[in-house]
Amino acid sequence: MFKKIDLKNKTALITGAGKGLGKACAIALAEAGAKVIIISRTLSDLKKVEKLIKKTKGSCLKFECDITDVNKFKNILKKIKRLDILVNNAGNNRPEHFTKVKKENMEYLVELNMKAAFNVAQMCSQKMVELKSRKKVGGSIINMSSQLGRVGAPIRSVYNMTKFGVEGLTRGMALELGKYNIRVNSMCPTFVETPMVKNFFKNKKFKEQVLENIPLGRVAQEDDISTAVAFLAADSSSSITGTSFMVDGGWTAK
Amino acid sequence: MVKFLKDINLKNKTALITGATKGIGRSTAIAMHQVGASIIAIGRNTKDLYSLKKKLKNRIKCIECDVSDYEKISKIIKNLKRIDVLVNNAGTNLPEPFLKVKKSSLETLLNINTKATFNIAKLCTDKMLKLRNRKKLGGSIIHTSSMFGLVAGPNRTVYSMTKFGLEGLTKGMAVDLAKSNIRVNSVCPTFVATPRAKKYLANKDFNKYALSNIPLGRIATESDVATAITYLASDAASMITGTNIIIDGGWTAK
Repeated sequence: MFKKIDLKNKTALITGAGKGLGKACAIALAEAGAKVIIISRTLSDLKKVEKLIKKTKGSCLKFECDITDVNKFKNILKKIKRLDILVNNAGNNRPEHFTKVKKENMEYLVELNMKAAFNVAQMCSQKMVELKSRKKVGGSIINMSSQLGRVGAPIRSVYNMTKFGVEGLTRGMALELGKYNIRVNSMCPTFVETPMVKNFFKNKKFKEQVLENIPLGRVAQEDDISTAVAFLAADSSSSITGTSFMVDGGWTAK
Repeated sequence: MVKFLKDINLKNKTALITGATKGIGRSTAIAMHQVGASIIAIGRNTKDLYSLKKKLKNRIKCIECDVSDYEKISKIIKNLKRIDVLVNNAGTNLPEPFLKVKKSSLETLLNINTKATFNIAKLCTDKMLKLRNRKKLGGSIIHTSSMFGLVAGPNRTVYSMTKFGLEGLTKGMAVDLAKSNIRVNSVCPTFVATPRAKKYLANKDFNKYALSNIPLGRIATESDVATAITYLASDAASMITGTNIIIDGGWTAK
């Protein structure tokens, strides 16, 4: 039997939900019937996403928060009744050649992509296991990783380090949270047509190099990733945990 | 309206499924029929095929054939009008300790899991490429692999050899066929509640071994696997190629 993607009666929290993949995931989960809680540093972005979610007739709560601020995030969780799904998405990238990586850039990416991602995952998991019926209803955490969490690439040594780290975190969490029926997977997209990547693609040579490395010959669209995230969030994937879900047009198959 | 959740459907697609009489193949036929595909079911057992046909109210095509009979299967595939999706599922297992593996078992597994699978993949790809607008419409091939295509298990040297091979075939095909927009992926389930696995799991020690290795504490269902295969078959997965969906409850995350 086919298990449809259905998130009715589920509450999902999405970080980095103001733009790009986070925004796409928030809307996709709302389309599948979830109540969504959107987090971003930028209130004006959140307001726009909220409008789009209301159009899907979805319910939405928004909180302005920099996820590196642990106390602020903790307070947000206190205001939330329950949590079934986390899309641990907020992250960034500052491409630099390894020998030229600035100390502050390395520290910024480690703080955000690893430390904040870990803290958000831990706090949300604590919230999720509070529900007495968790083992029965299940839970799902999706860590936003990258194809560069699986293979190296030029001027991406720090990004590689943080995303390989997220891959390790995903597997460790999956083992420990299995007994609560909370599944943990990572999402590994190739380059996606997001505002961040569109900016990189202004460099024509870079764009060419990217497309040469994707056997399917095209970059991913935001809905390719948000659909896969919704699949992992839903009971459609109820036996999938501790894995990396590649949406990379064949990049890592080579 | 913005939409970020792609619909998983197989309307106007024809799917050929091997090993469709039982287990994962049968469930996949049912799941794909549910989301609108035309199904061609291949299997050895006429009675089982008849029961599947009856269940789907005669709305599928069933053909009796042993996949290792090259002449017969090639004639069948050549006579088909079109194929958009191949579920290359027929396979078997004869568990034996490495030192006791019979020559005949080795040959059976290589003949079915490796050679027949390769041949069917090739014959169906030829058929898929006959369609002039294939590049526009896309195509999808899904191999039923196993978590033993990624890690080893006791008494499974030959099975692992064939399934690791299948993982390699998947990636190689994905790279070669991407330019025709034919995607190639595998699914890697843990033990699934199929008639075959139920026989293994009836053994108490084996049951304990299996469950103690699955962090989620349960084996997978046929629907779990059929749903992932159906997703990969559909355009909702249009950027996913050369990879595997691991449906193993966390087995390989350890």
